[in-house]
Amino acid sequence: MAEMNVSGGGGHKKGPKKVRGKKMSTRVDLTAMVDLGFLLITFFMLATTFNKPKTMEVNKPAKEDKKVEEPPIKMSKTASLMLGANDKLYAYVSPDEIDAETELEVDSIDYSPNGLRKFIQRRQQEVQEQWGDKEQLFIMIKPLPASTVKNIVDVLDEMTINDVKRYAILEPNDPIDSLIALKTGQKRK
Amino acid sequence: MTAMCDVAFLLLTFFILTTKFRPQEAVQIDIPASTAQIPIPDKDIMLFQIAPDGRLFFNLDDQPTRLALLDKLGTAYSIQFTAEQQNAFRTLENWGMDIRALPDFLSKDPNERAHIQQPGLTIDTTGGQHQVEDLILFSRQANNNLRIAIKGDKATEYRHFDKLIQALQNRKVNKFNLITSARAAKE
Repeated sequence: MAEMNVSGGGGHKKGPKKVRGKKMSTRVDLTAMVDLGFLLITFFMLATTFNKPKTMEVNKPAKEDKKVEEPPIKMSKTASLMLGANDKLYAYVSPDEIDAETELEVDSIDYSPNGLRKFIQRRQQEVQEQWGDKEQLFIMIKPLPASTVKNIVDVLDEMTINDVKRYAILEPNDPIDSLIALKTGQKRK
Repeated sequence: MTAMCDVAFLLLTFFILTTKFRPQEAVQIDIPASTAQIPIPDKDIMLFQIAPDGRLFFNLDDQPTRLALLDKLGTAYSIQFTAEQQNAFRTLENWGMDIRALPDFLSKDPNERAHIQQPGLTIDTTGGQHQVEDLILFSRQANNNLRIAIKGDKATEYRHFDKLIQALQNRKVNKFNLITSARAAKE
């Protein structure tokens, strides 16, 4: 099976036979070479990294030495996401002003399209109705120490999927954050 | 037969030319998936890897940059690296240990090195040892175009990740890349 026939055409030519010298065999055994070829292919296929990993760009706000006074964002334009241990996610919307009467609703949601994505989309709609522009929505992402890298990536990914333009990764420093951390029995720092 | 042989060697050539070898991993890292589409650049990369247990590993992509880094480290930590140690560092990918433990590690033969459980970079900011910050600073001095990538395991806790980000921000790096694998946005 493994030979190469170099003598062209096949079939006999008509006419008077030419006088030639003694024919040398042109058949070379290729089996070993092909074996080696496939061995090398196998090696390179296994050693290659396919599916080059992708990257996700993260920008953190610069640490300013001087405090720049910025007008605070209206809380009604925001939503806060607290990332907790065991893939738990706590979402809430702070009211504009907190007083003794204030009642706060904290949702415990998960990272699935039904949980997080629904929450963001609902919030986008509310901001759209109140402020006329859903890009005003500002999402505060507050990871607790026990959350994982996967959680962060999932949340950031959801920002891209839902086209949320304004978001930031912040420390959970709010009084509400400490309350939630306390209630759910998680460490804040 | 001839055709098959041709195809085989064509494939072989293709694989030889397109292969970039898998770097030797100091630790197995299972990266999270995202819908991000930007491919990771081939060069000018400073890579931090965070294992699930919080150990931190470091990799620079370019051999001259590595040598320049080692030179600066030697000066800053007053360590004299021998020619063999420099040579070993030049080809060293993904390492994570206290900088003062480096000469000892580099003197070992490569086979032995591969089997040592590395303790991770010293990131503790108490006691005046800002080793990770030094690494970031010196690497960027050695190559100004470096981009910073972080490869964290799915299960790495945020507190480990946060420490690294603090170190980066202390060195005025506010922009970095998280390495993820690709997936489609599910409905």
